[in-house]
Amino acid sequence: MFWTLIRQELLIHLMSARFFAAVVITLVLVVANTYVLIGAHEERLSDYSQREAENRENVNRTPTYSYLKLKIQRSPNPLSLFSAGLETHFGSEIDILFDSMPSLSNPLAEVKPDEEYHWLFAKEYTLSSPTAPLGLKNPYLRLFSQIDLVFIFQVVLSLLALLFAYDAIAGDRETGTLRLVLSHPVGRGNILLAKYFAAMICLLLPALMSLLLTLIQCSFAPLLQFSTSDYLRIGGIVLTTIVYLSVFYLIGLLISTITRLTATSLMLCMFLWVVLVLVYPNWSRFALNPVGEMRAEKISANRQIAQIREEANRQRDSFLASTPLKGEPPLFTETLPLDKFYQSGGFLRGNFPRLHVELKNTVDPLVLDLRRYYDFAATLQIQTAEKIGTVGQHLVSQTSFRQARWDERLMKLSPTSLYMFATSAWAGTDLDSMIDYIRAAQTYRTALINAFHERNAFASLQWFATNQGTIDWSILPRFHFQRAEVSLSAQRALTDMFLLLGTNIVLFMATFMIFIKVEI
Amino acid sequence: MIWHIVTRELYDHLTSLRFALTTFILVALMVTNAVVHLQTHPEQVRKYSEKVIASQNELKSRTQLYTLLRNGPGKLYKRPASLAFIADGGEAFLPNESVSGYAWTLYGTTSLWSLGYPRLNMNTISTLRPNAMAIDWVFIITYLLSFIPFLFTFDAISGERERGTLLLCLANSISRSTLLVGKFLGSLITVLITFYFAVLFNLTIISTESWTQLGAADWGRLGLIVLIASCYTGIFTAVGLIVSAMTRESRLSLVMLLLIWVTFVVFMPSTLGTLSSKWMSPVQSHYQFKTAKDAAIDQLKSSIRNQQETLKARQLKSADTSPDNAERIDISELEIWQDFVNKDVEIQERFNRQYLAEQSAQVLRARQITRCSPAAIVQYALESMAGRGFNRHLQFLEHVNFYVRQFRDFIVEMDRDDPESLHIIGVSDGMSKKPISPEAIPIFEDKLTFQDTLNSAMMDMILLILLLSVSLSGAFLVFLRADI
Repeated sequence: MFWTLIRQELLIHLMSARFFAAVVITLVLVVANTYVLIGAHEERLSDYSQREAENRENVNRTPTYSYLKLKIQRSPNPLSLFSAGLETHFGSEIDILFDSMPSLSNPLAEVKPDEEYHWLFAKEYTLSSPTAPLGLKNPYLRLFSQIDLVFIFQVVLSLLALLFAYDAIAGDRETGTLRLVLSHPVGRGNILLAKYFAAMICLLLPALMSLLLTLIQCSFAPLLQFSTSDYLRIGGIVLTTIVYLSVFYLIGLLISTITRLTATSLMLCMFLWVVLVLVYPNWSRFALNPVGEMRAEKISANRQIAQIREEANRQRDSFLASTPLKGEPPLFTETLPLDKFYQSGGFLRGNFPRLHVELKNTVDPLVLDLRRYYDFAATLQIQTAEKIGTVGQHLVSQTSFRQARWDERLMKLSPTSLYMFATSAWAGTDLDSMIDYIRAAQTYRTALINAFHERNAFASLQWFATNQGTIDWSILPRFHFQRAEVSLSAQRALTDMFLLLGTNIVLFMATFMIFIKVEI
Repeated sequence: MIWHIVTRELYDHLTSLRFALTTFILVALMVTNAVVHLQTHPEQVRKYSEKVIASQNELKSRTQLYTLLRNGPGKLYKRPASLAFIADGGEAFLPNESVSGYAWTLYGTTSLWSLGYPRLNMNTISTLRPNAMAIDWVFIITYLLSFIPFLFTFDAISGERERGTLLLCLANSISRSTLLVGKFLGSLITVLITFYFAVLFNLTIISTESWTQLGAADWGRLGLIVLIASCYTGIFTAVGLIVSAMTRESRLSLVMLLLIWVTFVVFMPSTLGTLSSKWMSPVQSHYQFKTAKDAAIDQLKSSIRNQQETLKARQLKSADTSPDNAERIDISELEIWQDFVNKDVEIQERFNRQYLAEQSAQVLRARQITRCSPAAIVQYALESMAGRGFNRHLQFLEHVNFYVRQFRDFIVEMDRDDPESLHIIGVSDGMSKKPISPEAIPIFEDKLTFQDTLNSAMMDMILLILLLSVSLSGAFLVFLRADI
């Protein structure tokens, strides 16, 4: 009897015009958007390789160790096709500098320190946060918002789920078929279950068909390749989609059980859909700002950083007092007159002593003092940057990071946002993956410093002087951002998936209870 | 008779559940919009006026013509629109100030100020916060004022046909067109009542704040914006009636309408824009643009070096001749410099202009195609009316260009008035040394007249009216021939 019910429901759904129309629209949207998304991904890839080439060229042109200004990038994630998350708009490039730590964001830049310091260490760079998201050749095209595949499911299939559900019970009750069915020896729970399974199968069909079409389209794009783990992630996304659609079907079923008339049920479903899918996620992000500006925290962090810098300055001054070097760094023109000591060169004023000079004479004893000073200054600077980094990290976790987390939490009151965040966790485009990237950048910075130490670069003449010719830059460690393992991504997605599942169970229980007691 | 139908429809709608839900959503969103606007707007206006005053004071502190030319007019700022709550328009991402071009020093001569390529605020989109749309009037109008008319009209004809009341109705001496107009007006007025109610809430809250003084022109704009919204609602009401008349079941009619809505309102405005740009000739990347510009400047530099060398050779040859000759050569050296610095400015600005023109042409063309969706038309019309978004950005750049020309003309004229000057513009020694009065320097003021906004919105408004008439006549045609 149970199977007969399912088969009958299935036939009703599959033969209906609404199902046909919805499938056609979904597939058209999926094909058109996949085309756009693949194009955007290819543009990001070419942007990425162009920037890589530029960076490599810049490094190879760098005359001295101290002049090095290294940039790393996050390679574009092909799964952003499915769920863009932060991937397409969060910065991709990080400056790897000795005098600043990579950080998720730089809230220090938003408030100016209340006192102006004159020549100080690390004045300009406090934290280096990702900038310049990879992107379209014409950046103005960002004015057209990008749509990912998950968004299509989120909007169209949830609508279809509600359209299947709104008259499932109320309609049968109106036409009187429910009474007839219940005159057979079938439990009420069985009827609910049969309706549920039949509808879920019908909802899965368009989802799987669009997935198939997307994968076929992707196979025609030579630059877009998915690895085995990517397919597992796609599997995770499909799983989340099922749970998500089930939530909407059950919402519709619940409303359908409660209401007497299909017309009322339909109106409630439609308004609930608009609110949950379109209005609430945007509204919550737009209207609610529970963390606020946190100006006081930013100013106090700036003050702490000023103290750290002053301390570093004191150490530097006391070191300089013990050397014969006089005058303003980095050239010390009082003891090392420009015309007698230097042949040519240039330097970047400000924070870290970045310079490239050609000395007239490398055996001068003052050169040794200079080398010792730069060794000291570089080590001091690296330490200072780490101290500033700790303060900055704390500030980030209090401000922008906390804000992003709160946004997520508030948005997650809608199942649509839960679905969005869960899928971006699967795709590796969520906030946690960006944190992974920052960690990788920090590790890379340490590796770079170690490589420099190994070569004794800080104390070498090549640190600042070009007398010994060009530098072999192949010593630099290579950076490649490795995304988190699938199991880790699954863990991250699991909380949201459990929340979705929980919603499912609660909704089903509620529907069941009401349906058991309801008058037919 | 027609009013009888309209009032009956109105009574029906006003007491329905959908009316209550609609009112609730619209009012909630409009209130949110007003409250957030009041929280953010005064701060923006304050920052803008502070920055403008600082930049003008700096400008007025310059007394020498040459320093004025070399340092330029300083930063020029875009005035925040008083109707910012109408449309977000990606304003946070578009530049709100002018940028100066690349400056250099060569053999003791410095470049003149040039207008740089306006930088997009990439860091505003590079945030950790999840992406979301702003709840502005554009959101409320494009999404809800299309969705809600569908909910009111999907069963207007098919529902009555199902119940058989349509047959009864037409058995009376009512023409089909009267019935249709009655139904159209009934649904339209219902939706507009809730919308105007919500707008009233919104504007009341906004006008409580003294920071956002709305002038007469602003109220005029608001009037037109409400008119545009009404027109848009009318289009979707008519489409709802068309589909309702065409389908046998009201259930099917709703599904069709929702799918139309999802395609035209939710997906088309964004998908079509990026999709269409795929088939347009590609713009150069920033890197290509930079290298082309640098190559042109390098060429200029080398030609100047050649000129200088020939001049030096001539100088050596005629070193022993009269001092009168030497002075002339001096002038010709200044003239070479003049040529150099002015051409440099010209090349930089020409490249920037071309690059920008190429990019904006692509965006404008993509927008043209996106206009297949009425939601996009309304979005662009509202952005133009509110003085936000891409059109406003182009207008701002135009104002800046106009002002820069004015500023340079002013310098040339002041120099011409001084008989002691050599009239070699662009070189310190060749220009008038007379101090200038700070009042005389032209000041940039970013103003947006009612005319400007109306002009850029005109096409969209005409398109909307056309669409409305097309969809209304479509409804007539379908209903006149429909089986009952």
